[in-house]
Amino acid sequence: MKFGFRSKIYLGMFSLLLLLGLVIIFTVSRIMTNALLEENRNRGISIGTNLAARLIEPVLAIDFFRMKTLLDETVRSGDDISYAFFLDDKNEPLVHTFKGGFPVDLKRANEVEDQEKYRVRLLDTGKERIYDYAVPVLIGNDRLGTTRLGLQRTRVQEAVRRLMWSTFLLTGVVILIAGFFGTVLARTVTRPIKVLHQSAEEALRGNLDAKTAPLLKRNCWEIMQCGKSECPAFGDVRHRCWYLAGTLCPSCVEGEYAKRMESCLHCSVYRKCSGDEIQSLAESFDSMTLSVKSHLLELKNTEKILKEQRQLLKTILDATPDFVSLQDCEYVYQAVNKAFCEIMKRKEEDIIGKTDFDLFLANRAKIHRLEDRKILETGEPLIKRDSFKGPQGRRWIHVVKIPVRDAGGKVVGLLCSSRDITEFKRVQEKLAQSQKMESVGQLVAGVAHEINTPLGIILGYVQLLIEEIEPGTQNYQDLQTVEKQAKICRKIVSDLLRFSRHTESTMKPLDVRESIKEVLAVVEHAYRLDRVSIVRRFAPELPMIVGDKDKIKQAVINLVNNAFDAISGEGVITVGAGYDPTSAEVVITVADTGAGIPPEKIDRIFDPFFTTKPVDKGTGLGLSVTFGIIQEHGGEIEVESPPPRESLAAEGVFSGTLFTIHLPVADQAGKMETEDGKNISSG
Amino acid sequence: MKGFAAVFISIGLLLLTGCSQEEPAYKVDLDKRKPVIKNEETDVITYAYLPQYSHKESYQRHHLLVEYLRRETGLNIKQIFPDTFDKHMEMVGQGKIDISFSNPFVYVKIAHRYGAMAFARILEANGNPHFRGQIICRADNRDIEALSDCRGKRWIAVDPSSAGGYLFQLGYFISRGIQKEDFIEIAFSPGPGGKQEKVVLSIWAKKYDLGSIREGTLNVIADRIDIGEIRVFAHTPWYPGWTYAARKGLVPETVSKVRQALLQLNYSQSDHRRIMEAADITGIISSKDQDFNPVRELAAQIGMRLEDRPK
Repeated sequence: MKFGFRSKIYLGMFSLLLLLGLVIIFTVSRIMTNALLEENRNRGISIGTNLAARLIEPVLAIDFFRMKTLLDETVRSGDDISYAFFLDDKNEPLVHTFKGGFPVDLKRANEVEDQEKYRVRLLDTGKERIYDYAVPVLIGNDRLGTTRLGLQRTRVQEAVRRLMWSTFLLTGVVILIAGFFGTVLARTVTRPIKVLHQSAEEALRGNLDAKTAPLLKRNCWEIMQCGKSECPAFGDVRHRCWYLAGTLCPSCVEGEYAKRMESCLHCSVYRKCSGDEIQSLAESFDSMTLSVKSHLLELKNTEKILKEQRQLLKTILDATPDFVSLQDCEYVYQAVNKAFCEIMKRKEEDIIGKTDFDLFLANRAKIHRLEDRKILETGEPLIKRDSFKGPQGRRWIHVVKIPVRDAGGKVVGLLCSSRDITEFKRVQEKLAQSQKMESVGQLVAGVAHEINTPLGIILGYVQLLIEEIEPGTQNYQDLQTVEKQAKICRKIVSDLLRFSRHTESTMKPLDVRESIKEVLAVVEHAYRLDRVSIVRRFAPELPMIVGDKDKIKQAVINLVNNAFDAISGEGVITVGAGYDPTSAEVVITVADTGAGIPPEKIDRIFDPFFTTKPVDKGTGLGLSVTFGIIQEHGGEIEVESPPPRESLAAEGVFSGTLFTIHLPVADQAGKMETEDGKNISSG
Repeated sequence: MKGFAAVFISIGLLLLTGCSQEEPAYKVDLDKRKPVIKNEETDVITYAYLPQYSHKESYQRHHLLVEYLRRETGLNIKQIFPDTFDKHMEMVGQGKIDISFSNPFVYVKIAHRYGAMAFARILEANGNPHFRGQIICRADNRDIEALSDCRGKRWIAVDPSSAGGYLFQLGYFISRGIQKEDFIEIAFSPGPGGKQEKVVLSIWAKKYDLGSIREGTLNVIADRIDIGEIRVFAHTPWYPGWTYAARKGLVPETVSKVRQALLQLNYSQSDHRRIMEAADITGIISSKDQDFNPVRELAAQIGMRLEDRPK
């Protein structure tokens, strides 16, 4: 069983009192008993000695009557005197106070030597206990006999018993009185401690507003009669002023508590209000809780700020596409961002606490470890490009590893930031290809320009020869073949020139539907012969665009021809024109039901001279020309192969290629012309 | 908590153990009784010293002498202690005292009344075979300077039968013309025993104006009071001293043995001196009845009839 503090005090107090009482009872009773026994003994000795002295005369006078009288008077002088008798010099009883003969056992029960003054012996008669006193009757050194006296022990025992009871009762009363006052005094100690305990428990539960210190009987502002309501001690009825900082008393000294207390010791407020240690403890506890509360508040605010900043930092880190990680000196991951988790295809908690050897293949982990060790040892950052093979092909990353230092400059970790630069690298490569193609284009344009004149002469002379030769002859047919091939060459040269050299555009508002209809009217009949039908999907109303009608028609015919070429055998070419109000663009679509474009080639179809057609069927410049025309009109061209399902659902086919051209409507185009007219008008 | 309880219990047990200690007692059976029978000895020669002092003093003075006599004579001599002078004389007459050591007045009485016969007498401390009485008062009592100043005073004497303590002084007063009636009061020491000392103490305590004692008493009491506070202002004439007398009818052979043994005591012998000093005797000489005639004359002078009890 665990006792409370109060119970322990009560138990201890009562135990001590009881113990003290027992010791007192024991000690006092022993002392008193011994004193009573000693007094009784001395009394017996005194009576015996006196009797012995008084017996000398009658013994010498052999006056039995006087002897008997003396003995009887002695026995009658005390209630507790049982007997008295005299033994002569031969130790024979001479006179006694017994009735009915002398008890022979008594004669030798207590023998005293001549040289002894007396001898006392406790006798047990079976009914009672008697102290027997033997005193020799002497004259000088001559012994006349022995006086014997018997004193009942019962009287002493009764006195001792009464004494014990009196002591016991007195001790009990004293214990009760002491216990009562002790309880009252203990309560003054235990009550504040209980309040202190409750306050401490409240504090543990988070309530730091508990008031532990008792109300002060006198307040400092009343004693000093200062009336300074702005003083922090003014109105505080629970805390004495020397526990409060910033008090405004003239005698108060600001500074450390010890220094302040030195001045407070001489203050009349301190002399009148200073309480005991428990009150001081309670006030100290209140001060402590106030301080803790204040610190907790600061801590909470700091924690909140820290949390916000941490969240902000995490958001930033998670938002960045770079793969960011932090490792400690033991190469253990301490923090990673979302991108890192995604590329590792693991959760954050599965990465934190792991090393590279847990996350990567052994060879790569080993490489990382060597790099990291070098950084940690030298403190030099590492910047490199690296690649790895993923499910979507080879990926390139740009890696920056920098050492993290503590306040003392010691390297305590490693921050790694990696960026996926695959796309960047692809664009970079494309740019290089474009630059290369631009150079080739310029070369081709020069060559074409030089070839165009002699080719025109060749074609002119061939046509002159054909007019002069009779049709149907071999020479006529050969000349026709030459004319045909010369025309093909002229077209190639014309395309090359168109691709490589921007021709003057005549930009006017136009309805793309008209341009498309004109193109389709030309090719539809020929296509139908090859069982390729054309489906028109034009919006009933379409805003105007600003553009060169011929170039738009050229762009469309390139796409339609490409579609036709892509269809082997029967097929459908769907041509659409619509308006996207969200982007304010006119959208032209050309879809076919052909074989489609392989994924690995789709990125290159707008490259010049890239073609999937047979050598004699295409130059590889059609889509490049179309791309250039659309760009010239401020639009965009996209290709999807196979096209999205929804776009082909009506045709019931799910293969082929879909080209989509976005052209800004007239207002946009006008605006663009105003802001970016240079691009449009440039040659 | 457990330690505290253990200590508490230990102390409690210790206290209880302490309380339960009992003193050992010797068992006696008071029911075993028998009557007390005093067997009287038959061949005892009784020796009595006239009780002018307490029995204890008498014993201390004479028990060595009695032992000496017993040893020298081979007789079963025992000292007995009569309470008063009259008792002493009566017991001589009754034959209960065989050898009486008494003053000369008592002797002349027992000789006259019961036929006792003196056979030896002692020398006083000064070697004188006679002794005398003293009349004393407090040293600071200025009312008594001369014998005549005793008239109208209160007188305490030892005993009406005391020679050195009353009768010598009474004869001395009468011979000087001072009668018993001239005193306001003549008192005697209360008995029994110690009468000479009581007279001195009464004067010392201012209970009486003058007192009469045997010469030598002051030395006896010197260890109890300052005897410088007592003044001896008169001495009586010399009279024969204390005497040994045999009762009438005592076997002469026995008397002779005792007389012979007494006369053999020599103060110069250390063993005898111890005996004699205890008895305040310096020597013993032979004596006969005629030696006490002056005492008989004094008795006649004071009007004391030897056959009567003194008044």
